[in-house]
Amino acid sequence: MDSRNTSVATPVPAFAVSRLFRLRRNGLTAQIAGRIGSGLLVLWAAVTLSFVSVHLAPGDIVSLLIGEQLRTPEVEAAIRAEWGLDEPLPAQYLSYLTRVLHGDFGRSYILQTEVSQLVLSQILPTLKLTAAALFVAIVFALVSAVLSAGRRVPRSIAGALELTLVSTPSFWLGILLLYLFSFTLKLFPVSGDRSFSALVLPALALGLPLGAVIGQVLRQGLERALEEPFALTVRSWGTSEFVLRLRHGLRHAALPAVTLTGWLVGSLLSGAVITESVFGRPGLGRVTVEAVLGHDMPVVLAVAILSALVYVTLSTLVDVLYLWLDPRLRSDSREAVR
Amino acid sequence: MITRRMLLGGAGAAALAAAAPGRAGAQTKEAPVKGGSLTWGVETEPGTLNPHLNGQAKAKLILRNAYETLLARTPDGGYVPWLAKDYAISEDGRTYTFTLRDDVSFHDGEKLDAAAVALNFTKLKEPAYSGSISAGHVSHVSEALAVDARTLVLKLSRVYAPFLDGAAGLEILSPKSFASPQLKAGGPDIAGTGPFRIERYVKGQEIRFVRNAAYNWAPANAGHQGPAYLDRVTYRFLPEAAVRTGALTSGQVDVIEGVSGNDAGLFKDNPEFTYQSALNTGTPYTLYLNVTLGPTEDVRVRQAVLAAIDVERVIRSVYRGERQRAWGILTPADTDFYDRSIEGSYGFDPKRANRLLDEAGWSSRDAEGFRTRNGQRLSVEIVQSQATLRDQRDVLLQAVQAQARQNAGLDIVLRYVDAGTYTTRQNDGQYGIIPNSTTTQENGVTIYFHYLPRNKGGSINYSRTEAPEISAWLDEAASTLDAKKRFDIYARLQRFALLEQAYGLPLYVPDDQIAASARVKGVGFRPFKRLPENAYDIWLQA
Repeated sequence: MDSRNTSVATPVPAFAVSRLFRLRRNGLTAQIAGRIGSGLLVLWAAVTLSFVSVHLAPGDIVSLLIGEQLRTPEVEAAIRAEWGLDEPLPAQYLSYLTRVLHGDFGRSYILQTEVSQLVLSQILPTLKLTAAALFVAIVFALVSAVLSAGRRVPRSIAGALELTLVSTPSFWLGILLLYLFSFTLKLFPVSGDRSFSALVLPALALGLPLGAVIGQVLRQGLERALEEPFALTVRSWGTSEFVLRLRHGLRHAALPAVTLTGWLVGSLLSGAVITESVFGRPGLGRVTVEAVLGHDMPVVLAVAILSALVYVTLSTLVDVLYLWLDPRLRSDSREAVR
Repeated sequence: MITRRMLLGGAGAAALAAAAPGRAGAQTKEAPVKGGSLTWGVETEPGTLNPHLNGQAKAKLILRNAYETLLARTPDGGYVPWLAKDYAISEDGRTYTFTLRDDVSFHDGEKLDAAAVALNFTKLKEPAYSGSISAGHVSHVSEALAVDARTLVLKLSRVYAPFLDGAAGLEILSPKSFASPQLKAGGPDIAGTGPFRIERYVKGQEIRFVRNAAYNWAPANAGHQGPAYLDRVTYRFLPEAAVRTGALTSGQVDVIEGVSGNDAGLFKDNPEFTYQSALNTGTPYTLYLNVTLGPTEDVRVRQAVLAAIDVERVIRSVYRGERQRAWGILTPADTDFYDRSIEGSYGFDPKRANRLLDEAGWSSRDAEGFRTRNGQRLSVEIVQSQATLRDQRDVLLQAVQAQARQNAGLDIVLRYVDAGTYTTRQNDGQYGIIPNSTTTQENGVTIYFHYLPRNKGGSINYSRTEAPEISAWLDEAASTLDAKKRFDIYARLQRFALLEQAYGLPLYVPDDQIAASARVKGVGFRPFKRLPENAYDIWLQA
């Protein structure tokens, strides 16, 4: 099953809210204030939604913690007391919010470790993997789009390759890459977050399907751009086709691709789960899935806060990129609205 | 009556002789080489590294490197000295006296003495520290006394037969560890006495151990004495079976455990590797039938389920001869209490299945060929937790489903559920069948978990039976130290549970597998408990 689809619920409010704020106000300070305000709103919404949904999911926390072990009233009481589960839900919710504001994310019910330590220890491997996967994706998308846009045969080859990559389960792609490059050719090691060479295969496994999606969008954009009148103008200057595509076409084609990339990068976190377990890598993906299954509330909430932060940052970045890519958006936001 | 006392010399030597061929392997007479590092690819990452709190059978092979127990077991079920030199049980069966070695120290430098061991027992009794474990065998301890530095006395509130196994198997932590903020999570700060100590733990990746040079207190039946051979051993967490196999064949790890049936052929009869497997102790993978809900409330329906499925054929076709069919409430590896006479005493009999169902009133059929009664289809729901869905169990359940339909017109519905749904269904009894297995030998304790009423210690009583005769038998068995008497009682329970009441249909015996590069020597399974052993006796051929 593809867990990637499950976590894309948060980005929609993140983008919608932030865009709303940006468009309503004018001036830099107002924009920044709006941005921070909307960011906080998204964080709060993420925490609240996660809190509610874990409680709505089947299975109560004490039963899950006891599992199939012996259950006595004393054991239940000890567990409730340890985690403050004897308080009513609204009180638990409020006390969590208060503690988070003081920088205390609590302890994991299941792993028994400090959540802040746990998340900090897992975030670096995750960031490395996502950054490397993003790099792979962008390079793949750029190369495939620039080389194949508007050319019949390369276009169908690239299209077929992309379709294959998108529809290959990432588990299978991971095993395939391992089988070829690690077990048979012995070029890269299987596992862990130990060296750069250990990052190559996981980054390919995670990045290639992403690159295939972006590549398709980028190619369409590029083809549209190449048919526009400005392309004819540039060609008439005697510019080579390659330079035309790189310097002029890509800029026009990039807008939808950048939006899509920003949106997909957020989903890399959850997409990383399978890649992490295939390659035996540490990372937030596996920690998150286990926490959700075990109703490990402190971990779930900390990850929710972190993902919301990532989405807010990404949406800001995407907006800045828009301005850089398309000068028409720079002049004034009022014009942009119009 | 005599006081039971283990005679150190005799028992130890006999055990040593019995254990020797099983462990280091009879194939080599070379002198073991000291030094080197070993990497072992394992399937399961421990949830916590505190051995008291970790209940995962698959974590034991890792944690036993650093944490040790009072006594060790022999293949025939006996006990030999380890941290305790000797033990005695009083005539009334309620006082256990352990005499400790005087040369043992913890990784943090503390000395092992009776007070330290007593502290482990008293701490474990606190629900705030150990949760459910406080309700287990330590709940029977009324007092843990350090009489002098070497002598520990445990007083029980009543006779409890499985106690010795539990007490002898408790990992002893250093007293300072109980004050550590890391106590519940475990790790390098929590000191044990083992031949290795934890050097580094990277969550999601690996745990590394380094040799304890001061170690000189191996159990009497270990392959050697003195410090371990290896300098370092690293357990790398590789959850995917195909990846573990590839990592071993390409030389990236030296040993793996958990080899899938399809991959076993790569290592068997291959001179570059060694392959071994051992049947698990505990209970087989069994379909437990709910006696409190739906059609399976009727004993005739339950008996019909047992007769409708050709287990032999299903197991052979799903596992291609790599798994053994199960018959009893325990696996054959449970040498204490497995009563072999159950084998062949029931089984596939479609005529009987159909007669029983007719008698139970499920005599008409619907358009799809399923049996009905008063217009209702004969339908039983299997609730299988995704967490224990391994070992091609999904294929196995589909084969069972097909057999039930074909042979008896019984509709089996398969539901694979997440942990939360499973817990809720299990607690509320909302299922027709729960399939599961347990994998450790605990001196019959697992029978109590499966057959006592749920509010009296039957935490995994999936059939939900509350038959008063079972409770009476189990009570009688727990209060005698006469092993023969206990065996007879459990054998009677087995016939009652399977032949008369049909509480469950045992399917197959799970096992553990180890594959290793040929230069790895001394790798193997623990005597008696049959789980993969730690790295103490392992050495690398130069």
